[in-house]
Amino acid sequence: MATLRPTHRPLACWKSALRQARIQKHQQRALWGLSTPETSAAPDVPPPPPPVEEARPSSESPASVPPPLPIYIPSAKVAQFHLPGCRTTLPGVVKPAHEMKRMRFVVAPPNPKKTCPDPVKAVEDAQLQLLDPTGARRRLFDKSNIEAAKVGDILLVRFRPGSGQSDQFAGVCINIRRRGVDSAILLRGQLTRVGVEMWVKLFSPNVEGIEVVQRKEKRARRARLYYMRQPKHDAGSVENLVRQYQRRSQALGTGAKGRDGNSHRKKNNKKGRK
Amino acid sequence: MPPRIPVPRAPSPLHQLLPITAKRTIKSLLRPQTTRFNYSPNLPTLTSTPTGALARKEASDTLPHRTGALAIKRGMTALYDATSGRRTPCTVLQLDRVQVLAHKRRDRHGYWAVQVGAGSRQPKNVTRPMAGHFKAAGVSPKRWVAEFRVRDEGGLLKLGETISPRWFQEGQFVDARADCKGKGFAGGMKKHGWAGQPASHGQSLTHRTMGSAGGSQGSGSRVHPGKNMAGRMGGQRVTVQNLKVLKVDETNGIVVVNGSVSGPKGCVVRIQDALKKAWPEIPSPIAEASATTTA
Repeated sequence: MATLRPTHRPLACWKSALRQARIQKHQQRALWGLSTPETSAAPDVPPPPPPVEEARPSSESPASVPPPLPIYIPSAKVAQFHLPGCRTTLPGVVKPAHEMKRMRFVVAPPNPKKTCPDPVKAVEDAQLQLLDPTGARRRLFDKSNIEAAKVGDILLVRFRPGSGQSDQFAGVCINIRRRGVDSAILLRGQLTRVGVEMWVKLFSPNVEGIEVVQRKEKRARRARLYYMRQPKHDAGSVENLVRQYQRRSQALGTGAKGRDGNSHRKKNNKKGRK
Repeated sequence: MPPRIPVPRAPSPLHQLLPITAKRTIKSLLRPQTTRFNYSPNLPTLTSTPTGALARKEASDTLPHRTGALAIKRGMTALYDATSGRRTPCTVLQLDRVQVLAHKRRDRHGYWAVQVGAGSRQPKNVTRPMAGHFKAAGVSPKRWVAEFRVRDEGGLLKLGETISPRWFQEGQFVDARADCKGKGFAGGMKKHGWAGQPASHGQSLTHRTMGSAGGSQGSGSRVHPGKNMAGRMGGQRVTVQNLKVLKVDETNGIVVVNGSVSGPKGCVVRIQDALKKAWPEIPSPIAEASATTTA
């Protein structure tokens, strides 16, 4: 506010009057929402029905209203300078008359995201219950299972007869793609001395069984063994190993997983080199 | 207005007594012309109007009989058929508190539609006009609001009614529309699949450019309107038609549809009965049950 010049000195009385009004306004602002019960309870607002909540958290109920604070009541002389929206008849009304009604909202129904936070997993679990009821296949590729098949192992996949595929396929597992029920492994083997890779869906009904023919001697230090596509690292044919494994398991009369050492590993490697 | 035909007046008897004299008046040299407008009371009603369009749609039965729903894309997986061993890639959609908010009526708005809301919004974040809108329908504030056109008044649901996954039946076909992922400013090779230029053979700093923008004098020495160029890619609405509903889970609010649906995970997908398939025959008990159990 600009300072008053001497020529406007007669207007100085306005200044004091406005100051009083300003103080009064601040006091009223501090008490915003505080009111006596008979003025706050609007007669046209019905009591809220049970499923309805207050939009704005109702800061005070009539029971919790503290006693009105001492308020500066301006003299009647100043009351004519009151600002619009501020009433000077205190303490009856400290709220402006134009305050909007509080909106009441219907309570939202239960959130399906709470009851089912991961619907994809729910769908997959239902599928796995059907496709892998015993959980053996899941355990074979479970990361927390020490006995699980890992990349670098030689795996034998037996297919269901009549599924339009050959009976079985064996190869080095060079990739495990973990996607729940859609999980798959990538096997690299040889057919007619030609390197062949095949994606096998772990939980496909066409896959009858997956067996570990030979484990990798040392844990592979990569998750994807794509370097085995290079002639230098190619494992070559796993046919002999598979035949040995099958002969042994037949002799034992079990379909147990192969636990033999990697005695022929190096020799086999040499064979694969070109 | 059709031209008025003059009615001959009956001559008075006095006229008949008088001798006939030629009238001398100003006579136009131009013969009277027929109007260039084609009016006649027997012409057929024009059909190039909104009313005509709606009548055609009703006659051809191309508008859905039922409303659709707003769903949230939650991800993709695959379903296996145990007997045939067939793998079907699928998208998992979740319905989040889908409720009817309002109707669009033929007499008031010009068409029949159901306005549907989904999700929820905190009351403090709702504007007062929208708050009143939700209150009128008796529903909680919704995050997403959309309209689904229906054929006639029979397709309108009651205000506040919940559309649950059972609204869709396993085996029926739906259309799914959603905003696809935005790719930002993309070059022509990515956006339009152009081949680009070779990596070598004397190329100098031009490997992925658009090359020519058109012919020279023969095509007007200008770039034709609509020429494909680099620019914003993606982010537009994409409709995938005729997706089969593979699975419906009422308790978890899940609808599983065949194949892929545009957009990232968490985006809003509009699903409605497929336009290009026969309308599904929903037995009324199911529709009623889904309405009553979830209302």
